[in-house]
Amino acid sequence: MSVSSSRKITQILGAELDKLVTLPLIWRTLMGTFILNLGLAAAFTSAGLQGAAGTQSILNIGLASMGYLQAGFIILGIFATCSEYTGGQIRTTLTTIPWRGFQLSTKHLALAIITIPAAFIIAASGVLYTFIMMRDTAVVIEIDTMIESLAGATGYLTLTTLLSAAIGALLRRTTPALVVLLGYYFIVSPLSRDFLHSIKNYFPDTAGYYMYMPPSSDEINVLTPMQGTGISMLWTLIFFTAAIVFYRKRDA
Amino acid sequence: MRAFNAELSKLFSLPGIWLALLIGAFAPAVIAALDSIAQKEEIIAGVSTRLTEVGYIGLALGVQGVIILGVLAVSSEYLTESSESGGGQQITTSLTVVSSRFLFLLAKAGAVTVISILLCIVAIMTTVSATHLILGEYAPAFEWSKLIGAVCYWTFTALLAFGITILTKNGIIPLAVLIINSSVVSFSVLLSKVTKLAFYLPDRAGAEMFMFTSDRLHTPFTGGVVMFAWVAVIFIVAAIVFHRRDVAS
Repeated sequence: MSVSSSRKITQILGAELDKLVTLPLIWRTLMGTFILNLGLAAAFTSAGLQGAAGTQSILNIGLASMGYLQAGFIILGIFATCSEYTGGQIRTTLTTIPWRGFQLSTKHLALAIITIPAAFIIAASGVLYTFIMMRDTAVVIEIDTMIESLAGATGYLTLTTLLSAAIGALLRRTTPALVVLLGYYFIVSPLSRDFLHSIKNYFPDTAGYYMYMPPSSDEINVLTPMQGTGISMLWTLIFFTAAIVFYRKRDA
Repeated sequence: MRAFNAELSKLFSLPGIWLALLIGAFAPAVIAALDSIAQKEEIIAGVSTRLTEVGYIGLALGVQGVIILGVLAVSSEYLTESSESGGGQQITTSLTVVSSRFLFLLAKAGAVTVISILLCIVAIMTTVSATHLILGEYAPAFEWSKLIGAVCYWTFTALLAFGITILTKNGIIPLAVLIINSSVVSFSVLLSKVTKLAFYLPDRAGAEMFMFTSDRLHTPFTGGVVMFAWVAVIFIVAAIVFHRRDVAS
């Protein structure tokens, strides 16, 4: 049966979306991340309320939980690609869709389609909670900055998810991928920030930080949101390309 | 004893365990070395404030190795094999051979405990030599009581990871939560800014067995007792749940 290529794309995308939507762990992860984020936003807000009134910005506090929030999206990305390799699903996938580069690209696309709204809702809920709680005490922010920061946060979380998915496709096992990524994002990167002043801005997470954090005046050589986005995107593309190259060459 | 040996052999045949051993043995030394290099400049400048915890911070953060160990010990049993090899789970075989569930749990916990104690001793040796190599005469004094505290911290953390994974049966969530929580940006440190109760969380209390935090609440001994109480409670719950649960579901 020959099908036109545009129809092929929609069919593959539909299949990949179907696979992702039917994974129970994806929904559990997203729900868990959502609840956890609200809890963290509450903790940061109450810590902020104890501090000096009128000095903090709502955005800084509302987005402070981003550091933890990314863990949920890292799990999401790893799970999307690694679930293919448990129980030999990958062989069924490749029998029905024998174009490997194409298949992995549509998988990333499907993942992005799920991640973008989820990331936006979760990030916005944290900021909204902080906004409601701190309306009276904190410095008022303009709606433009708020939207910019939320868009940046959504973009950052999506890029992180896609990066994790690419690394998951490279390593093919859930546990090592999880250890490597969490170890990097939560241990190596915060520790190395003190030692590598000059190049720290070019790592995926620190560059991504500037995508959503409103610029503060007391830091030197900070990146603009656009530069941060560019660097994060470059990292994601590098790992994505590597994943495709290995995926095409490797035995299933 | 045979069940214990079997558990040891099962653990060492897991590929992920080598990652755990590698991280556990060398990550503390690397972290301590990096911290020592940063501290050395401050010492020379005469502004060093936290010299006493240089080596111990490596041990506090390097606990990741035993977290992986504890989680993998359980989650590997529940991994479903591919449909080409029968789609079974190791746990059914394990419980066929060692039919007493309590004994099975005890043997597994024993294996995890022994490996984490040995791993922590290795980590202490690499960390102490790394700090001495870099800091020389400035190196902090490593007291035996504190080092034993670090060994207890590692073992309790491994058992905590072990117990939580029995409840969840899947390694991903406990691994993520525990790795983040033992990192620089842990939940408990954040919560301790909100409420004093957070000092009774297992990692916050356990770290006081050997860390010199400025806002400490417990003595090293009570810190250890609080953490042990957490381990005991989680273990009892895990044992009851494991005892009553259907094997593979």
